[in-house]
Amino acid sequence: MAVLTLEHVSYIYGEGTPFEIRALDDVSLSVREGTVTGIIGHTGSGKSTMVQLFNGLEKPTAGRVLLDGKDIWAEPKKMRDIRFRVGLVMQYPEYQLFEETIRADIAFGPRNMGLTEEEISRRTKEAAAFVGLEEALLDRSPFELSGGQKRRAAIAGIMAMRPEILVLDEPAAGLDPRGRDAILEGIRAYGKETGSTVIIVSHSMEDMAAYCDDIVVMAQAKVCLSGTRDEVFANAKRLTDVGLDVPQITHLMMKLRARGVAVPEGIYTVEAASAALRKLFGKGHTV
Amino acid sequence: MKNIAFGQYYPAHSPLHAMDARMKVILSVLYIVAAFLCKNVLAFGALLVSAAVLLILSRIPARIVLRSLRPLFFIMLFTAVLNLFFATGTSVLVSFWRITIYVEGVYSAVFMLVRIIVLIFGTSIFLTYTTTPIALTDAIESLLSPLRLIRFPAHEFAMMMSIALRFIPTLMEETSKIMNAQKARGVDFSSGGLVKRAKALVPILIPLIVSSVRRADELAMAMECRCYRGGKGRTKMKVSHLRIGDFAALACMIAFGATLLYLNHRGIGYTM
Ligand SMILES: Nc1ncnc2c1ncn2[C@@H]1O[C@H](COP(=O)(O)OP(=O)(O)OP(=O)(O)O)[C@@H](O)[C@H]1O
Ligand SMILES: [Mg+2]
Repeated sequence: MAVLTLEHVSYIYGEGTPFEIRALDDVSLSVREGTVTGIIGHTGSGKSTMVQLFNGLEKPTAGRVLLDGKDIWAEPKKMRDIRFRVGLVMQYPEYQLFEETIRADIAFGPRNMGLTEEEISRRTKEAAAFVGLEEALLDRSPFELSGGQKRRAAIAGIMAMRPEILVLDEPAAGLDPRGRDAILEGIRAYGKETGSTVIIVSHSMEDMAAYCDDIVVMAQAKVCLSGTRDEVFANAKRLTDVGLDVPQITHLMMKLRARGVAVPEGIYTVEAASAALRKLFGKGHTV
Repeated sequence: MKNIAFGQYYPAHSPLHAMDARMKVILSVLYIVAAFLCKNVLAFGALLVSAAVLLILSRIPARIVLRSLRPLFFIMLFTAVLNLFFATGTSVLVSFWRITIYVEGVYSAVFMLVRIIVLIFGTSIFLTYTTTPIALTDAIESLLSPLRLIRFPAHEFAMMMSIALRFIPTLMEETSKIMNAQKARGVDFSSGGLVKRAKALVPILIPLIVSSVRRADELAMAMECRCYRGGKGRTKMKVSHLRIGDFAALACMIAFGATLLYLNHRGIGYTM
């Protein structure tokens, strides 16, 4: 079941000026309920623009954005409710913290929803736990934390609203591998435990291969490839054609195929590669 | 937020774009003087015509320039109304209750309106639409440099100005980003009373100030790293030269001013 659908959506920045930029060009896609969907593409391919359409921060120049089959722009007055249902973590969210303590900042969204104090504090704790912020940190000022900790706090601030769809724009950009895995694990845990749909924008094919069920590939303001993870990686050639990286193991498999080794297409994990090679060369070999 | 036209350079190929920025600064000062020289219908008519000529010469769509008038709409309205009701004269146009409107009042309201519109039009065509901020600050530095004799820091002044101009769009972009981020957390800027709306600004202003300070710090560091030491002994990669066309434009402007003075003496109708 598709929860979120874009129908022939276009978005133009600075329409009618000489600085006109077509950031999205006739994009259609649908996101399945309860899945983790990855959006990947080059710098400037329109990913951030697209996610801002999901919760009505920007209005499409043409086309419709449907949430549960209903146009989100049908009642612009109710947009706040849409934003609580589709929680968006923007790119570099650490710059939007402003409260005196991390705890208060995480509670900001739920407070705007008008929840009871009890519920707010429960959700704050829960969200902090998802992203792995220790209790002791919560009473510190946001400006005393490291970049990675601030990032977690900002993500927790959206998770605490308990959105049905959690959208994150480059949640792991600029973090070291350990911090990256911790954040992505937290996001996956949020999706699993609350049954929410998760949409992650990322540059990293490795992350996409590891965490996403469905993948949407953007190139030059258009969707150039989309489908389940298996379907997309079966088209690894298309990915490299638009200049995107494929996971290293996929790259290796492509090279082997080019040399005439008959490994199947669409391999993106080391386990699958190892199984495939074993099948080809028999049990005797160790790979 | 995004379509504010302030300081928006409009790239095009036109005689005005090609002019030396220093001459454009001088011309716009002279143009302001010219707008204040006008005294009667004929002169103001000529002023309006000159604004139209400037617009055509600049090859910028009229609707773009007209947009720059919008933020000043209320000031224009206020000035016109003030002149209409409070100017006194000899010939009464209408009189009701305790208010008398004189023919002179109507004239001066219209004249003031034309003057303000032409001032904004002229200066924004000369200085913002056809001149890049960098060319503009270079021009100001160059024009102010004689003041160095009395120890006026012309270069530093121009540098401050160009940094300020440079960061206006960045700051606006930052503001709209932070606003979006807080809107995503349910901040509502467009409803509620005054206090509620003022409170909604806190989540915007604090991150904005924090990031401005950070940005200033980074910029200072970056300039330091490239050994910036102020204007002393600094040369320019692009040196602009005054050409024949620039002097011709100056001559046109002076001739225009003389014409206005002449028209002022052809007394038709009300004279300011
Ligand atoms: N506020 C804006 N005003 C004008 N143009 C913009 C604005 N924001 C983005 N653009 C342009 O729209 C296009 C798409 O930008 P977008 O931010 O959606 O890309 P992205 O895929 O998120 O890139 P990145 O991976 O670098 O974050 C780019 O060409 C960009 O220059
Ligand atoms: Mg982006």
